[in-house]
Order: sequence, then C-alpha cells, then structure tokens
Amino acid sequence: MRYFEYFVGPQHVGVTGNMSYHLWADGDEIKKMITSVGYLHRGFEKLMEYREWVKNVPMVPRICVPEPDVNEVLYAMGVEELSGLVPSERAQYIRVLVLEMARLSAFLFYFAGAAGALGLYTIPQWTIGDRDYILDRFEELTGGRAYHIYTTPGGVRRDLPDGFKSRVQETMNYLKKRLIDYDRLMFENAIIVKRTKGIGIIEKDYAMNMGVTGPNLRASGIKADVRKDDHYLVYDKLDFDVPVVGDGDIFSRIMQRRLEFDESIKIIEQVLEMMPDGGFIEKLPNPIEWKVPAGDVYVKLESSKGEFGYYIVSNGEEKPYRIHVRGPSYTHGIQVAQEKIVGMRIADVAPFLFSLDVCPPDIER
Amino acid sequence: MGLFKFSRSRSLWMMHFCTGCGAIEMPPTMTSRYDMERFGIIPMATPRQSDLLLVTGYLTVKTLKRVVRSYEQMAEPKYVIAFGSCTMRGGMYWDSYNTVKELDLYIPVDIYINGCMPRPEAIIDAFIKLRDMIDKGEANAWKNYRDNLDWYKQNQAKVFDINKWSAKI
Amino acid sequence: MSLDVEESIKQDIDLRLKDIAKCEIQRERRLKLYTGKDRVIPVLGFLKSYGFIHLAAISCVDWLDDGEFEIVYNLWSYRDKAGILVKTRISRENPEIDTAIPIYEIAETYEREIHEMFGVNFPGNPNLTSLFLEDWNGPPPMRKDFDTRKYAAEKYGMRDLTEQLKIGMDKIKGVRDGDEIL
Repeated sequence: MRYFEYFVGPQHVGVTGNMSYHLWADGDEIKKMITSVGYLHRGFEKLMEYREWVKNVPMVPRICVPEPDVNEVLYAMGVEELSGLVPSERAQYIRVLVLEMARLSAFLFYFAGAAGALGLYTIPQWTIGDRDYILDRFEELTGGRAYHIYTTPGGVRRDLPDGFKSRVQETMNYLKKRLIDYDRLMFENAIIVKRTKGIGIIEKDYAMNMGVTGPNLRASGIKADVRKDDHYLVYDKLDFDVPVVGDGDIFSRIMQRRLEFDESIKIIEQVLEMMPDGGFIEKLPNPIEWKVPAGDVYVKLESSKGEFGYYIVSNGEEKPYRIHVRGPSYTHGIQVAQEKIVGMRIADVAPFLFSLDVCPPDIER
Repeated sequence: MGLFKFSRSRSLWMMHFCTGCGAIEMPPTMTSRYDMERFGIIPMATPRQSDLLLVTGYLTVKTLKRVVRSYEQMAEPKYVIAFGSCTMRGGMYWDSYNTVKELDLYIPVDIYINGCMPRPEAIIDAFIKLRDMIDKGEANAWKNYRDNLDWYKQNQAKVFDINKWSAKI
Repeated sequence: MSLDVEESIKQDIDLRLKDIAKCEIQRERRLKLYTGKDRVIPVLGFLKSYGFIHLAAISCVDWLDDGEFEIVYNLWSYRDKAGILVKTRISRENPEIDTAIPIYEIAETYEREIHEMFGVNFPGNPNLTSLFLEDWNGPPPMRKDFDTRKYAAEKYGMRDLTEQLKIGMDKIKGVRDGDEIL
C-alpha cells in the first residue's frame, strides 16, 4: 500500500513557527507523521559555556521567543540557588508580575494561532492587537517589547516606574472587558466547538507517561501545576486556582488556556496589592570575576506551555560548565504529536498542532 | 516613475516564512495596531506568488537551504529584507557553530533592519524605504543574484551540499 | 520547613537499593541518586514503580578532565511532589549506555539528542537519527573539546571590514579631532 506524501513546512502557514512535518495520508486520513526540527538550532547550551555568568543574561531570553521572561527568571533562580543569593521580597513580587504578564501575552498569541488555524481571522486581529497593550506595559517597565532582559541574578534591573501599578490595573480591566467579547466570538463559537470537540484526544495516562506538562496535561485531566507543586518565588502566598478541563481534546486545550487566563489576571491583581516596599536588587560581586560556587541544580517553573527547566552545572569558574534547557514543547512537539496525529484528517492537523502550542525555539535552543 | 514600478511597489506580497525570532514582531505588524496592509503588503503562502522575502533573523544551515530554495522559486522581480543584527554579522550568535553569519554571501539582500529585535515601526520604515527604492529603480539585488550566480553558489557550497537536496525534510 | 517527605523517600530508596545506589537530599523537594552504569535501568524501573513517573529530561555533562560523561535522568513524582536526579558516569572512550525506552517511552527523543550532541550510543534505541543538525561534518558539537569559535570562523568566515571601518573612522575623526583610531 502506497500512501500520498505531504511535506508541510517550514515555509507554510499551518505550522507553529519554523519546523516541518512529513505526512503520509491515505485519502484524507493520516497514517504516519515524522516531525523535523532543528531549523532554529543555534547551540545556546554551547554558547553559554563560552560566556561569563552575567553575559548569559541577555542570551537566555532568545530561547523561548513568545515568552522570554521565563528563561531570565529561571536562569536567575538557578544562579541564585548555586551562589546562595536571596532576592528581596519586592524583587520576587516583581518577577511574579512579569511572569504572569508574559503568560497573558503568550495566551493571547496562542488564541490567535488556534483561531487562525481554523480559518477565523477576526480573532487574531483582536488578540494580537490587545497583546500589544501588555507589551506597552513591558516597554514601560523594561524598555523592550519582545525581549526584556529585565531579571538578573540578585533581583530585577530597575524598580517599577511611577504610577505603573495603576496602569497595569487599567490594562487588566480592559482585558477583562474584552474577555466577554472573546467568549462570544471564540469560545462559544459554533465553528470552533464543532471543529474541535472530540478530536485529537490525548488520554490522561498517556499524557502523564509521555512527560506532557502544563496546560496540555491539565486539559487531559491531571491537576498538576509547578506553581503549586514545586512553588517558587512567592506563589505560595498567592491565592489562585488550578482549573482542570479534563477531556483532552483540542477544544479542552483551548478552553484550558481561557480559564487560566482568568487566574493569571487574579494573580496580577493580588501582586499589585500585596507588593511590599524595599530594594529590588542585591549587591552583586564584580561581574567579570564572579565565580559561582561549584555544584549542580535543577530549577523549573510553569510557563504558558508547560514545565520549563534549567539544569545548571558549575565547577566554580567564571563561566557555567554546562546548562541544559528543558523546553516544554520537547515532549508534545515531537513524540506525542507524531503518535497522536495518526488517524486524524488533514484539515485537523493544523488546529491540533496549534492547540498543543508547539514552540520550536524551545525544542531546539 | 513607470506604471509597472508604481504598481509593484504598492502591492508587495510577502512570503509567509518565519525563519527566526524576528517573526514574533510580524503578527503585530500584520494585525490591527500597525496594519501593514495599508501599504499593500499582505502575507502569501507560496513562494511563486510572492514578491518579498523576509528573513526574520539568524539562519541555521538547515533553514538556509530552504530559504535559498524558496528564494529561487520566487518570480522576478523579487526583494529581500533581512531582520536583525544576526543577519548582518552574526549578532549574538557570532560564534555559533550552526548559524550563518553574513546573509548577503548566500542570497542578495535589499534592506537590512538593525536591532534585536526590530520594532514594528522599524519594519514599516523598511517597507516604505523599499517602496521608494522600487520607485527609483534601485532595488536590484535580484539582478545581482542572476549576474553573480556562480559566486553565490560557491558560497552556498561552503556551508551545505548544494547538489544533494535532502530527500526527506 | 521540614524534610519529612524527602526523608521517607530516602529511607525507602536506601532500603530497596542499598547496594547499588547512593541517595542524598539536596534541598526541599530535590534528591540526588548516584548509581553505576549497569544498574541504571533497574534503578529507573524501581523509581518509576515508586511514583516517579515523569521523566522531565535526560542531560549529559562532559567531564573532560575525568574522561567521563555524566548522564543525568531528571525525574518528578506527582504524588510525593519531589524530584530526583539520577546520575551515572560512563567512559568517554566508549560512551555507551542502555536505552531507557522500556521504562520511559519519552526517553527516545532525549537519547537521540544526546547521541547527536555528545556521540553517546544507546543500544536498544531504534531511532538514533540526527535530530537538529543537517549536513554536519564536525565532531559532536556539545563535547568540551569541540571549539565552536574555531569551527565557526573556519566554516562561516566573515569578511574583513577593517578597511571600511577605517574610512568611517576617518570621517568621524574630522568631526571629533583628537580621538584615537581603532
């Protein structure tokens, strides 16, 4: 039996970034898929071994493009754990604020992709436009739209500007108002519901065994969140729920993000209220001679795509000995997608991959 | 300014190929806030129907191969805009073992945008500059590629095997 | 801050894997376990049945001075809310270690990457093809003795722009007299 072969990507509208798929199809039914990654492999882990500890701070955000702050915070957390630095409480609250704002912007990006894959082009116009209001806040705080290079080991680079809190609150109020429109346009939209319900199901046990994490795992029905289970920064002082949708299909993965969107807004509002006064950065040693004590540490946190982790090894020199980055898309972007796509129709491939939120740069680094 | 140049410069179709991190600023440029469609620029899915190739950031060897192929498939006249410091001299990845450093050794480039990453305003500025260049008849990099094909092929061959396109993707 | 959960995990591991593995507590919710190359698969099998069902990553560290690779399996238990790093060392001369696919299916891609980046062989892994690189002609790039700067300079040699820079600097010099030219 010979199957029709399709080559999807890297120059294609239906792929989530720069990666490609080789599909074998019998009529309309997919029989086999092979993912091909590596189009964005820059060898970050190697480059970081060649640079001093502080010089790596602007390197790391490039690893995950839609949500760069995750990498900065993780790298800072790892270096702090190795060198025994403890950032001030204010700095920790600011980091949570930055992380949650980044999560919101990544979710808005996700909605655009998921809806665009289904051919609904109004939603990207709205969500990407609204995402820019969050980027404006980032620009005000850090000076950059996409890459912020704001969190450094020891704290954050600068304090909040005057009146920043109230402007963040305004943005949140605006987003809450817009969510009503989004619900009507996207999440209750008959086209989305009919195209996505019951398709691309990832079962609970399978997801757990295959190392799927984050919203995709929760959409399959497991209540696991790094923010709760392995709490970092000040997340244990904040009050938020971990929603679990539980069906594991494309629709529940989209809905999962929608529900977590509310929780992130809740967290941001609490952070704005609870943020204490104080310093925002600890005194650091001379960055050129800074030797981080020998040891190894695995730090992880919850990004909008799942568990992001850094395994950092130091041998007591000016430069890191080895840094291994665990990107969340690594598991669901390659093996899970390859196995679960079998039996699906060609038209469902793009919605399925966009619903998984596969982000090639964090697979390849 | 001839009618052809006028029409070409005002209906540039851009190939939809996110080659690097610069692609993260393309959706804001395309959508409601910056709205590049008012300059007649829309994304197009296939290389054969597009006039403009955006190289959004560093190119790894694996991507360069696909970019060269897509570029050669585009119909002339065709224009290239390269994003970011990493396409000029390697930028942040100047010592990486897997990214090419100077893009114009491999394909001709009309306009470089500086920065990492370029803001949407910078991207729109580049579009306007390209439009003016087409109007004046200065955007001729594609002729350069045709005239110096041997030189480009020679450079490409240093990085990947140009005769052996990989059978699988 | 108590370490009750960690202590009880350590006790259980010490009891069951007394002769073949050494366990220590790193900090809250983090443990480490050292074991020999041949014992890794049984140890991983025990840990999975104990509750460490999530394989977060497999890392490899090149200890050039010791002549060894260190393979680090990174596990997490959803039940106990604790993570464990399982470490083992293999020689650099003949880097080979059994695949973990029978226990953790997801190990396939991680092993594929380590095979490509460090040249470690995983007998039993059916899919050790290249993952990221294409038309690669150098040694495995993540090894410590591979010099990326030298390789990049040879392969992607950049044009010499000193002359152009000098012209530019001359112009600048006209404006700001007395500045040194690079």
